[in-house]
Amino acid sequence: MAHTPRVGDPAFALDLPTLGGGRVALTDLRGRPVLVSFLRHAG
Amino acid sequence: MKVRQRWERWEALGAAAVFVVFDAPELLQRTMFDDIEVASLPFAVAVDRERVSYGAWGLRRARHRDIWLDPNVYRTYWRLLRAGDRLLPGGSDVLQLGGDFLVDARGSIAYARPQERDDRPAVGELLAAAKRAAG
Repeated sequence: MAHTPRVGDPAFALDLPTLGGGRVALTDLRGRPVLVSFLRHAG
Repeated sequence: MKVRQRWERWEALGAAAVFVVFDAPELLQRTMFDDIEVASLPFAVAVDRERVSYGAWGLRRARHRDIWLDPNVYRTYWRLLRAGDRLLPGGSDVLQLGGDFLVDARGSIAYARPQERDDRPAVGELLAAAKRAAG
């Protein structure tokens, strides 16, 4: 199991399909603060 | 409406957001997004069915006792039910934990809160972190 990123670490990669049918990559959002929120299960 | 107001405060900071989910899109649409048009949302909802990114970001699965012996879980359900919410199907893995991370404009982690149990930071805490990260 990887460790969780800590404050000051470079963000880990994130590049995933979106629910709307597109794709989102963290690198595409560079230049502004980005909240990356991993959610638990639906419901 | 509440989400929209909170989002306006978030957007005013010039911040973006990516919400990562792992359940089947059909279930998410019926539960989490209550049949709203996802394409119209002002933030990205990324789907990671295999939970590769959850593992890569170090997010673990809870033990059963972390969830089912946590009084906060029952308080939360009680509060939601009293507010008129309905109980929904639990999704594919109720033990998978999540987490919230704020990445600053340079690509570094400015805030990290991986879950240890079923809890989330307050919106105000995230907004304060985004404000600091926005400089």
